[in-house]
Amino acid sequence: METFLNILISGILLGGIYSLVSIGLNLIFGVVRIVNFAQGEFVMLAMYATYFCTMHLGINPYLAALLVASLMFVFGLAVQRAVLQPLQTEPMMQIFATFGLLILLENSMLAVTRGEAFSLSGAYSSVVINLFGLKASGVRVVVFIAATAIAAALMLFLQRTMPGKAIRAVIQDRQAARLMGINVERAYLLTFALGTALAGIAGALLAPIYTLSPYIGGNFILAAFAVVVLGGLGSVPGAYIGGLIVGLIESFSGYYVDPALKQAIWFVIFVAVLIIKPSGLMGQVGAEEVGLREQS
Amino acid sequence: MKLISISRLTIAAFVICASVSLVCASETLRIGAINPYSGPLALYGDEVARGYEIAIDEANAKGGVVGRKIELVRGDASSPPQGIAAVEKMAGQDDVEVFVGTYISAVSNAASDAALRYSRVYWDTNALAGDLTERGLPNFIRSGPYANSFAEISATATRDLLAPALEKDIKSTKVWIEHEDSIFGTSIAELQKQLLEKMGAQVVGIGAHNYRAIDLTDSILRAKAAGPDVWIETGYVPDGSLLLRTMRDQGFKPAAIMMVATGDTYETFDALGSDFLQGITVVGYPRADQTEVYGPGSAAYLAAYKTKYNREPIAPQSMTAFVGMQMLLEAIAGAGGTDMEKLRATAAKMDKPSSSYATGFGVKFDEKFQNTRAFPTVVQWQAGKVVTVFPKSAAQPQVKLVNLPRQ
Repeated sequence: METFLNILISGILLGGIYSLVSIGLNLIFGVVRIVNFAQGEFVMLAMYATYFCTMHLGINPYLAALLVASLMFVFGLAVQRAVLQPLQTEPMMQIFATFGLLILLENSMLAVTRGEAFSLSGAYSSVVINLFGLKASGVRVVVFIAATAIAAALMLFLQRTMPGKAIRAVIQDRQAARLMGINVERAYLLTFALGTALAGIAGALLAPIYTLSPYIGGNFILAAFAVVVLGGLGSVPGAYIGGLIVGLIESFSGYYVDPALKQAIWFVIFVAVLIIKPSGLMGQVGAEEVGLREQS
Repeated sequence: MKLISISRLTIAAFVICASVSLVCASETLRIGAINPYSGPLALYGDEVARGYEIAIDEANAKGGVVGRKIELVRGDASSPPQGIAAVEKMAGQDDVEVFVGTYISAVSNAASDAALRYSRVYWDTNALAGDLTERGLPNFIRSGPYANSFAEISATATRDLLAPALEKDIKSTKVWIEHEDSIFGTSIAELQKQLLEKMGAQVVGIGAHNYRAIDLTDSILRAKAAGPDVWIETGYVPDGSLLLRTMRDQGFKPAAIMMVATGDTYETFDALGSDFLQGITVVGYPRADQTEVYGPGSAAYLAAYKTKYNREPIAPQSMTAFVGMQMLLEAIAGAGGTDMEKLRATAAKMDKPSSSYATGFGVKFDEKFQNTRAFPTVVQWQAGKVVTVFPKSAAQPQVKLVNLPRQ
């Protein structure tokens, strides 16, 4: 029973990691309709930025998260404005552009680090919460709490604020949104920057868990795309719940079936969801097609 | 008349220039070093090349080899196609006569194949994949240890080092074998299982994982449930560190931990810290702290490295590369040049006992041209430093095992 509960906890905490990485990607995917291949590299960039802040400037990584997220927000604005907006009428080119960005960021970091692996050392990364024999890594608990808080805050933002409502309107039908006087380009800009800032927070909170390498973004992105499609395009609760589902499936199948097969198992479920419910578990029906109809 | 003189002068000048360039070409022996010098593995590619450079400096200080100065030419290759391109450029344009390498087995495989088309020897010092020598390529010679050697030493050290330290007989020692799931980790794990079971150890489980996995709690919980005395892991730096962190978080405390091929560099130290690493053993390339009896010249190598690069070696791979280059230069001297057939014939006759070189290697090639006297050693993390502990003749007399069984 203790083992079962430990696996359950590790699955939920892993789900927190997937949710955290996927929420930003889902927002960008759902609103701007860009398959942002570089999202994992944004996370990687934020991890290195956090490493720099912590090891060289002496800032606690959790405080550094705020700084890194702000910087990533500005970076996201710049990328959307300078790279993606000029290609707005060429959706395929936008996808290639994000792929180009992926290669650029990966190789730039390779050039800077020469492939050397870095790790954040510090007492906070070795904190273990032990409750009646059930163990959880402190840094992973923080990630889970952050993912939950971010999902809740983002839902409030989308429900209660005017910019949030504008973003939701663009998710539902960008042409109608434009006719209602919503500045679609500004919604794109805000969404992409927000998605990039969320990658920044994810990177900062994940930095104490992993050994940093320029390729680490790729480790997250495959799962994140699965979470986005599973949860539903543009749906924040979908990304959150989807992350938890993938985390739990991975954890249980890794323990009870075979660690080498766990990815294959959740991809089978991912394909099944695509066939049965293409809009994802919590996505708007038909949302997966909207992006292909109109881009301007 | 004047026209003729000018023509003659031109021809004479051309002949002189050609002769000079021929003389220059024949005077310098150019050795091509194929390694990743850019990209994620550049750190180790550079480190391997440093070992070559120290051996070449040493030889050049004594007048070179077969009366010729030696020059190292670097060929940057992180992938098989780049390896082929580097060989073609270096053999075709740079007058490279023999190749050495390579930190990545897949690159070594492709590059050595390309070198054969130019009838050049490919002298491998650092690639680990077993199939490189199994191919029976007529130009391929490997002077360093390979995957099977790592598996053999990890099994031997479990029996002769860890089990006694745990006050157990090998037959009552329970072992869990964890490995990354590519051919590298899988082939080593399979041989470990075979050897350990032959010795009588109880292999209580084998776990495979993807080295890019985000979470490895399942792998650790499976091993924890099996209750092993010794947990052996073969993989890369990121997955090795993640496994150890998860082990710490989950309170999994096997009496002994042995990492294979990685885990002995500052990258692991940064990830885990001194306290957790205390007592963990690592099967890796021989290090310069071993005894002079086991590795004669290792202290001199370390001094030469520090003088030339003004720092401690980044990784132990460089000393294995250094010794590999020494062996190659001995073979060239014996063959009187770099002719493939003569070099191969000379290598086949090389016969030096173990502990002839700084790494503790001897040299005796089998019929597939794998050096049968090249083995890794075992080090242990002690107070934030790695210290050679096995074989016993390699360990300094004052060195004692620490934290076994792990507290």
